Amino acid sequence: MAYREKRKMVAMLLAGGQGSRLGVLTNKVAKPAVPFGGKYRIIDFPLSNCVNSGIDTIGVLTQYQPLELNAYIGSGQPWDLDRQNGGVFILPPYVKGKSGEWYKGTANAIYQNINFIDLYDPDYVLIISGDHIYKMNYQYMLNEHIKREADCTIAVLQVPWEEASRFGVMNVDHELRITEFEEKPENPRSNMASMGVYIFNWDKLKEYLVRDENDTESQNDFGKNLIPSMLLNGENMYAYEYKGYWKDVGTIESLWEANMDLLEHNAPIELDDPPWRIYSRSANMPPQYIGKDAILINASISDGCNINGTIENSILFPGVKVEAGASIKNSILFSGVVVKENAVVDHSILAEDAVVNFRACIGQTKRNEVNDGSPKITVVAQNTVIEAGAVVFAGESVEGNVSREVKA
Amino acid sequence: MNALGIIFSYSQRENLRELTKRRTLASLPVAGKYRVIDFPLSNFVNHGIYDVSVLARNNYHSLTDHLGAGKEWDLVRKRGGLRILTPFARHDTEKPGIYRGSIEALAYNMHSIRRSMSEYVVITGSSYLYDIDFTHLMQTHIENNSDVTTVYTRKKPVSGEIPQGAAVMDMDDTQRLLNIGLATEEDGAKNAAWAMDVFVIRKSLLESLVADAMSYGRFDFNEDIIKRLISNLCFRGYEYNGYLLEVNSVTGYMQTSMNLLDPGVRAKVFQNPVYTKNKDSVPTRYAEGCYVSNSIISDGCRIEGTVENSVLSRGVRIGKNAIVKNSVIMQNTEVMRDVVLDHVILDKDVIVREYRSLSGHATYPVIVEKGSIV
Repeated sequence: MAYREKRKMVAMLLAGGQGSRLGVLTNKVAKPAVPFGGKYRIIDFPLSNCVNSGIDTIGVLTQYQPLELNAYIGSGQPWDLDRQNGGVFILPPYVKGKSGEWYKGTANAIYQNINFIDLYDPDYVLIISGDHIYKMNYQYMLNEHIKREADCTIAVLQVPWEEASRFGVMNVDHELRITEFEEKPENPRSNMASMGVYIFNWDKLKEYLVRDENDTESQNDFGKNLIPSMLLNGENMYAYEYKGYWKDVGTIESLWEANMDLLEHNAPIELDDPPWRIYSRSANMPPQYIGKDAILINASISDGCNINGTIENSILFPGVKVEAGASIKNSILFSGVVVKENAVVDHSILAEDAVVNFRACIGQTKRNEVNDGSPKITVVAQNTVIEAGAVVFAGESVEGNVSREVKA
Repeated sequence: MNALGIIFSYSQRENLRELTKRRTLASLPVAGKYRVIDFPLSNFVNHGIYDVSVLARNNYHSLTDHLGAGKEWDLVRKRGGLRILTPFARHDTEKPGIYRGSIEALAYNMHSIRRSMSEYVVITGSSYLYDIDFTHLMQTHIENNSDVTTVYTRKKPVSGEIPQGAAVMDMDDTQRLLNIGLATEEDGAKNAAWAMDVFVIRKSLLESLVADAMSYGRFDFNEDIIKRLISNLCFRGYEYNGYLLEVNSVTGYMQTSMNLLDPGVRAKVFQNPVYTKNKDSVPTRYAEGCYVSNSIISDGCRIEGTVENSVLSRGVRIGKNAIVKNSVIMQNTEVMRDVVLDHVILDKDVIVREYRSLSGHATYPVIVEKGSIV
């Protein structure tokens, strides 16, 4: 049909993960919808990468708390994905005939959408996830994939050895052909970690998806089942080495660190990059206003903010209000946060619309506590109200109303 | 609402020096990230007028670029939506595209205006920023059985004077118009009502009045339609009391920019959403050693120096030790290190090189033309 032309490559973005390690930040939203970098959400990165790489047909697989994500993606217009042909499609699990079930694993999620992919009759399928911050041209990876006549190409990057056991790691020969693949091994024999970015020949992938589905022992996961099984059968599998900035933001600490990376003098990832813009759905707000009492030291501030306090090494999302005498340090304030007079916020993440009242203190280090060097990040959940004078200690995570007073 | 909105994107009486040399008044950057037209356009959309025509006359490249298809104002529609009426070449003149008055502009675009399915027409200019409750205006117009309702105000946007060339209205107790004429100095002192060039009229009446005036070679709406027919038709005034900021003179523009720094003024101006073109700029970065006070800053700026009492558009760069005071700086302009600016308007894409110093006055700011290198 005319509105479903053949595509060379279709992207499938796995966005169903809960991201439970992000704690209260994913109370109401799926991990890909978690805010990042002053005006973005994590999913803006893979989506913008796709669009900037010339991929215009993208299925977004959702499952956990999809409302926010659905509303955010909408017609796909902010990413130029409201197309006559292709565009972005939200793909939740659905009922088929008498059956119908949740996505059991990453491979099963794609399996359940074989019909969607077939609509576009692609030669290749790109599998990506909505969990990482990076800028990558998938077209280069596809070129390599085609050149090597591979069945599957996995994007890899070298990680520090001590972290390798958190990833799917692989051994490759001198031509980058994958010889071994282990998902989260206890004793990694390589530090080439999978970025969770795969390109498959669609025919081959389909064959393995069906086979994997019929295997009752399988956990239906790409890293645990499908890729090892392809390797076992001697398919042509190559690694594609990526050398740029890539950050998994699956934990509070890594989310905080990745945000702080943006504030560095020579930021390892530059977002002010017109040829490779990161697109996002923006709130319509007036420009920011910096008042007479504001002190700004290495800060990133967005539209709609009204700043009268001290902001140091911090990232403020749209519509944040900081009153005079308040001090924000090393923190990330999501949209609509209000920090009242003389409140103190340090090493914290304040989720949407949190209110920190007069003289409250967020992220205070306990007395007698020995600091081991790595800062503890305090998290305040969405819509939380911190009463005047209340204290939230470093490393805590709070929601609801907080009115604890600490005796001096 | 059952109305077609028409925005005149230019003004016969504007005095913006270099700022409108290459652009039409409606696409003048204002209030940081906005263009003048964002205000009337958002004003229409916020009051349910989704059928909008923008009348362009000359230098409208930046205007069409800014408006695009009208996506940001939610005006990409099958019923109504945004239309830009570019000038229509006339047969009888050597100067195509230059209308001899608002009547001629409307006449040459009547083929498009006629096609609208709306019963009424709301016409506005681009000289002032305001927020009129069009729903109430329309209701008043219909209830009073008026032929034309003209919006007037007694406010004085700049330095206690009625803007030059504005029409002063003389009305009876029922706000029925008795006389209309150019403002004199005495009118300013008398707190007179002056017309804001915003009015409502039934579309069919507009068509016949315009056709009639054209056939006699009359081109000025106030002079040739309102004044001539004042006793035959029912013209009424409608008082506007909200905020009013002038942008059609350099002094007015500068004062408007400075007024926007006042929280009270900003609260009124942004009470209803004002939409503008989305640029996907990054958030603004404030480097260590910067000092910013009482300023409006848009996204995508990078500030290393001092900025006080100023308005910055998107993507402006302020270098180390630079001092910018009481100034307006437009999109993507770069002020390099150790520059000193006071009462300056830097247009788009300007570069001010190291150690330069420019200083003007509130009533006569220095204006640096688009793309210049100082």
